[in-house]
Amino acid sequence: MKQAEVLAKMQEVFDGIFLEKVAAKPELSPADVEEWDSLMQISLVIAIEQKFRVRFRVGEVEAARNLGEFADLIAKRIEA
Amino acid sequence: MNDAQLKSLALSGDTAFWGYLAARSRHAESFSELFFLSTLRKKARRVATESVQPRLRLAFVGGYNLYPLHELVEHLLTIRGIECERFLGEYDNYVSEVLDSSSPLYAFKPDIAFILPNGSRCRFSGSLLDAVERQRQAAVGAAEHLLNLARTFIVRSGAAVILANLGLPGELGLGSFRSRTLGADWSFRKAVNLELGLRAPAEVQICDVEFLSARRGIAAAEDARAWYESKQLGSPDFLVDVAQELSHLIASRRQGPKKVLVLDLDHTLWGGVIAEDGIEGIELGDSSPRGEAFKSFQKYLLALSERGVLLAVCSKNDHARAIEVFEKHPEMVLRLEHFAAFKANWEPKSDNLQRIADELRLGLDSFVFADDNPAEIEIVRQFQPQVEGVLLGPDPAEFISRLQAGRHFEPRNITEEDLGRTAQYRQERRRTELAASVTDMPAYLASLEMRGTIKEFDSLDLPRIAQLIARSNQFNLTTIRRSETELQGLLARPDYLCFTMRLEDRFGDSGLISVVIAKIEGDALVVDTWLMSCRVLKRQVEDEIMNEIFRLAGAAGCAKVRGLYLPTAKNGIVAGIYEEFGFKRTEDSAARKEFELELEKYQTRLTKIRVSRRAYEAS
Repeated sequence: MKQAEVLAKMQEVFDGIFLEKVAAKPELSPADVEEWDSLMQISLVIAIEQKFRVRFRVGEVEAARNLGEFADLIAKRIEA
Repeated sequence: MNDAQLKSLALSGDTAFWGYLAARSRHAESFSELFFLSTLRKKARRVATESVQPRLRLAFVGGYNLYPLHELVEHLLTIRGIECERFLGEYDNYVSEVLDSSSPLYAFKPDIAFILPNGSRCRFSGSLLDAVERQRQAAVGAAEHLLNLARTFIVRSGAAVILANLGLPGELGLGSFRSRTLGADWSFRKAVNLELGLRAPAEVQICDVEFLSARRGIAAAEDARAWYESKQLGSPDFLVDVAQELSHLIASRRQGPKKVLVLDLDHTLWGGVIAEDGIEGIELGDSSPRGEAFKSFQKYLLALSERGVLLAVCSKNDHARAIEVFEKHPEMVLRLEHFAAFKANWEPKSDNLQRIADELRLGLDSFVFADDNPAEIEIVRQFQPQVEGVLLGPDPAEFISRLQAGRHFEPRNITEEDLGRTAQYRQERRRTELAASVTDMPAYLASLEMRGTIKEFDSLDLPRIAQLIARSNQFNLTTIRRSETELQGLLARPDYLCFTMRLEDRFGDSGLISVVIAKIEGDALVVDTWLMSCRVLKRQVEDEIMNEIFRLAGAAGCAKVRGLYLPTAKNGIVAGIYEEFGFKRTEDSAARKEFELELEKYQTRLTKIRVSRRAYEAS
């Protein structure tokens, strides 16, 4: 799966979770979204794991610096 | 109502949102759902008005990261109308936070502290093959260590403590040998938890993490990644279980359990309709699966009544035919004597509920109404919104769990009075019958042969005193709530005079029915708490209590008695009581009234109660 496809599916997750409209773009980071605190982070990871049927390994998610890297991680996990 | 509908309700500022939010939040079992609801609440909060109730000061300390647990708890308390101010201890620093009285934990001045010890650190340090007695002693030691921590905190802060016990590990490592020793983590923690529960003093509530993790499944409750990444207690969904339990324990300290369960008859206590199917045709008993389920439900209700929950019937039925089932059906577990009130007629259920409340002298807010019919639940919700409705649904196999899911009848403590309550109401019915046969009041009171005992507070009575203080609303002059810890503190205060009264008569023992707390301030005895069980209203108990207040005031050298009345929505029946005794109003605002009477002006009341003992006198 390509990054763009992953981001499109992530947009669906965002629309369900964020109350405001947040566009899933590669350069987006939590600091850009007021709602995106550590509680939101936990919830987002759970929702994404369910959506893509993946389970991240310890430390992986933290290492992603923006949404693009996060999408790449998801793509890698789906293939693995 | 789906997520999208709830979201638009929240954003439109519709006040109906709050009811749906509360109902869904109370039943939420997954992190994602609870988080969604909490986010909606914060969004909707911006258009809602702030509450004026005092905020609850709630501290979280423990051997785990308490974030985001505390956010979930805050949400679940908010939907119950309890706003809180939170303190979060440092990760795994709880022992020094409690032992160091200058720590930020004490500076926060919490009302309640939640202590969550680290399970993986609670291990047996000896060998798996050590003698079991040695291992058991170590478990007792570990439990006492935690309880001492809790006690230290209570003594220093005056706050209440909710102490979590330990989740059990799901490791396969030891195989079946794990149960042949108390040295394995699995069996050692079980032993610690058992000792913890059995040894905990009344003022320490246990949050049963072991039970919660077993209920969800240990494998689903554990989450190694969440531990390594952010030192979480378990999986996100498991945090929801703990938060639900914790918020329930906290809310029940303020609101107390419900007292009365009102039941429908057809399709609730038995299958079928008695008017159509007749006594032989209804489904009840072990001969069919459905009949068995109804019988089990009745057995559960009987157990509730034996624990002190009052049962009542409120049903659209012909009275005589309904009674017949209770008297004649061989498979009925519940009999008429198990009910404190019985209304089977064609009046609206909301009216019947009011009548039951009047008969039992209990507020409708202590009622739960269970029915299989959603329309009846809706009508009651509309006309008697204080009554909590439980929809039992179409399947009798689910009735018990549906009723328990509301958690309305979970006791904090069980007292002797609880176990005998239904019998007390039965005695009350006989008193009422006697009252109806005797026309003149003094003759009726004399014929009751009442005997009273008045006694200063005694640590053995504290659980019942605390329960009355937490639950009484109607005959309660000030509704000042005090925790068991605070009450314990009063025992040692020479400037406080605190007493209880018990009442017995020819029909039986009513138990501890009144509580008075008064403080000596200069030349006045100030009564800040006076409450009484409404069951003994109009039996001259008020008169004996007032006699005792003045007797004690005299013995303490006071020249006058000052009484306090803080009006609430429910205590209107005692608004005028001080004036009835001749007190003069000295302060009169909407929120607070004060009354005063000099000792020399008080006339001791003569009553038909023989008082065999008085407070602060040797028995």
